[in-house]
Amino acid sequence: MKQVLLLVVYACAACGQVNYTRLLEAAREPQNWLTYNGGYASHHYSGLSQINAGNVKRLGIDWVFQARSLEKFETTPLVVDGVMYLTEAPNNVIALDPTNGRLFWKYEHKLPDVTYPCCGKVNRGVAILDGVIFHGTHDAKLLALDAKTGRKKWEVQVFDYKQGYSLTHAPLVLKDRVIVGVAGGELGIRGFIAAYDAKTGKELWRFKVIPEPGEPGNETWGGDSWKHGGGSIWVTGSYDPELNLTYWGTGNPGPDWNPTARPGDNLYTDSVVALDADTGKLKWHFQFTPHDGWDWDAVQVPVLADVTVRGRLRKTMLWANRNGFFYTLDRATGEFLSGKEFVKQTWASGLDDRGRPLKIPGKEPNRQGSQVWPGVQGGTNWYAPSFSPRTGLFYVTAWDDYHGTYFAWDQAYEQGKWFAGGGVKAPTPPTNREAILTRGKEHGYAAVRALDAATGNRVWDYPMRDMSESGLLTTASDLLFSGNREGHFFALDAKTGKLLWSKYLGGQVIASPITFSVNGKQYVSVAAGTSLFTFTLGQLAGN
Amino acid sequence: MNIRVGFLLIPITMALGQESNSTLVNPFNSEADIARGEQTFQSQCASCHGRDGRGGNAGPDLSTGTFKRTSSDEGLFQIINKGLPGTVMPAFPLNPGPAWQVVAYIRSLSIGRRNQGGAGNAAKGEKVFAAQKCAACHDASAPDLDGIGTRRTVAEIRESIMNPQADVPSQWWRFKAKTRDGRSLAGLRLNEDTYSIQYRDGGGNLRSVLRSQLASFEMDRTSPMPSTKDKLSATEIDDLLAYLVARGVR
Repeated sequence: MKQVLLLVVYACAACGQVNYTRLLEAAREPQNWLTYNGGYASHHYSGLSQINAGNVKRLGIDWVFQARSLEKFETTPLVVDGVMYLTEAPNNVIALDPTNGRLFWKYEHKLPDVTYPCCGKVNRGVAILDGVIFHGTHDAKLLALDAKTGRKKWEVQVFDYKQGYSLTHAPLVLKDRVIVGVAGGELGIRGFIAAYDAKTGKELWRFKVIPEPGEPGNETWGGDSWKHGGGSIWVTGSYDPELNLTYWGTGNPGPDWNPTARPGDNLYTDSVVALDADTGKLKWHFQFTPHDGWDWDAVQVPVLADVTVRGRLRKTMLWANRNGFFYTLDRATGEFLSGKEFVKQTWASGLDDRGRPLKIPGKEPNRQGSQVWPGVQGGTNWYAPSFSPRTGLFYVTAWDDYHGTYFAWDQAYEQGKWFAGGGVKAPTPPTNREAILTRGKEHGYAAVRALDAATGNRVWDYPMRDMSESGLLTTASDLLFSGNREGHFFALDAKTGKLLWSKYLGGQVIASPITFSVNGKQYVSVAAGTSLFTFTLGQLAGN
Repeated sequence: MNIRVGFLLIPITMALGQESNSTLVNPFNSEADIARGEQTFQSQCASCHGRDGRGGNAGPDLSTGTFKRTSSDEGLFQIINKGLPGTVMPAFPLNPGPAWQVVAYIRSLSIGRRNQGGAGNAAKGEKVFAAQKCAACHDASAPDLDGIGTRRTVAEIRESIMNPQADVPSQWWRFKAKTRDGRSLAGLRLNEDTYSIQYRDGGGNLRSVLRSQLASFEMDRTSPMPSTKDKLSATEIDDLLAYLVARGVR
């Protein structure tokens, strides 16, 4: 078996390009990290095991890439046959040698003077297919770059950026196409997800997150409120090739904090949508937070895993949502299987038997301010969770005991202007502005939390002093890697949550770690502060 | 230097985040401009900076009259229009008039400006300050009072003097701890993370300790400052407030 595997790996490496077959079988070449989410099922899990509980104490920094940008460094790199591809804010794409950090090429996208990011000119990564790198930009373009040269092959204008549209996430490629969604919910956009021909950039289909009059779902928007209904796409979706469905989490309705301006459930915001990958047609949807007033985007990575629920093996989707609840859904039908709060929340008394929240009256934002747990960043956010097929556990970075006071006010829409309809006050900043922490524990903390995938019951917990915007990575040696706002990067035992190793990197981790292997040597990479750190085992000599 | 180069220099220094020597004066500074600026602020800025401008969730307090990235009106105008790289402050490409009006409104929020006037006598207040030996602590490790009138309202400073325990900011919390090998530690907690605590001990030494070395850790959220409630007359407190508000940055 091992020989067969090696032969396959060798054959693919020799063919020199990542084709769709290799992406389908990405788990067979764990030395590479071929898609943003670590495979179509988005497990953020690696089959590598050279670094393990016995030797992880010897993990040291091998090299550092310093970004020439002060923006939050949210990149998750790809590693393909000995080349790493990463992004540097706002929209530069870099190819470098993952064994020493030296650059092969750098593509710098020229942006207009003014673009419309809601929360920093960040970018999260790229996709690769057939020798082409795909990248979305703040002026709402989709770029195709030659993976060998960094030269642009084509670009398409996904939408008019001056209306508040932008692209921040890594595209998803499957079959012959590249799929992206647009962001800009705080500027009154109408979100959509679109597929483009990977060879030409020709649009193949478009799914509108906010249905227009005459389309199913538009009746969930009172009056004209659908016109600026939001529904951004902030993170890369997943794909089930057997069902031929691609899954995407959708953003909050607009205006964010004034739900009375948009009566109804506001479909398909704060939802997961399951789309036919060939046509873009909606197969099913599940809305986590109907008529949201707290800005709780379903801005999470859809994790696809086969899990035994109440005695029956199901094709499930696992979802820890910003609203504070963890959901197990049937990913073929969207059926709600179970749900449970995974952090303190005070806005719902529970979920009904179809997974709809039972809202507690009086919690929505108002003129005087409404104090609610969780706060605006939610129980978790965009950074990747992880699922280990070895432990069967779902892992998430959770924000607990964390609240905000939500305000609402009337606001008229103007193109290119802020359209939030309210605001939030909270003692816990949404990102790390200060390097010093003195805040009291009553204002919340982050934890790496291991949940039973079928029930949401907590199996173990690794609490931290400050918050964390770090994604998670698990490996075949049962390690879990993550970081935090304090600037630590660490390894836990994925079975027990015990701390095995940590390193202070001096800057906030606001990205998801990856692992890869080149010439038989395993590496781990993570962005922290404005640098990408790459670790490997052993005493490190100068190089 | 020819004229063309001179013209170019202003935008270049601005791009570098530096201040040019001569900055533009806000041409929209009337009461009506401030009122219109407030409307724009409430619509475009209050989500993050709060309706009162004193900071919200994502944006800092804009009411102190001093700003991290600029001290000029022109600098504020540029930040509004271009945003701040490396922060969550986006560009707000307003037309020049509305942007200047927002600058005028932000300036009008200044606590220092609102604190001017009052019943007390600053010269007498300085004598109260000396007699009470406030400087013994405040010139050393207690909160720096230079420019306090730009950061706190008169009502807030009065509350701090009369009732120091009412609201002790977390950066002034002290701690006591025992190590596993039996030593006692105490001091002002300066910073914390999951694994360690940074502090200044009674001798002024800067120290770190690992949590794993501690057998016990207790946070003291009170202030060591004595209340002046029963020590000073109402007039003396007014005078002291007048002195503190007038006290600039030395």
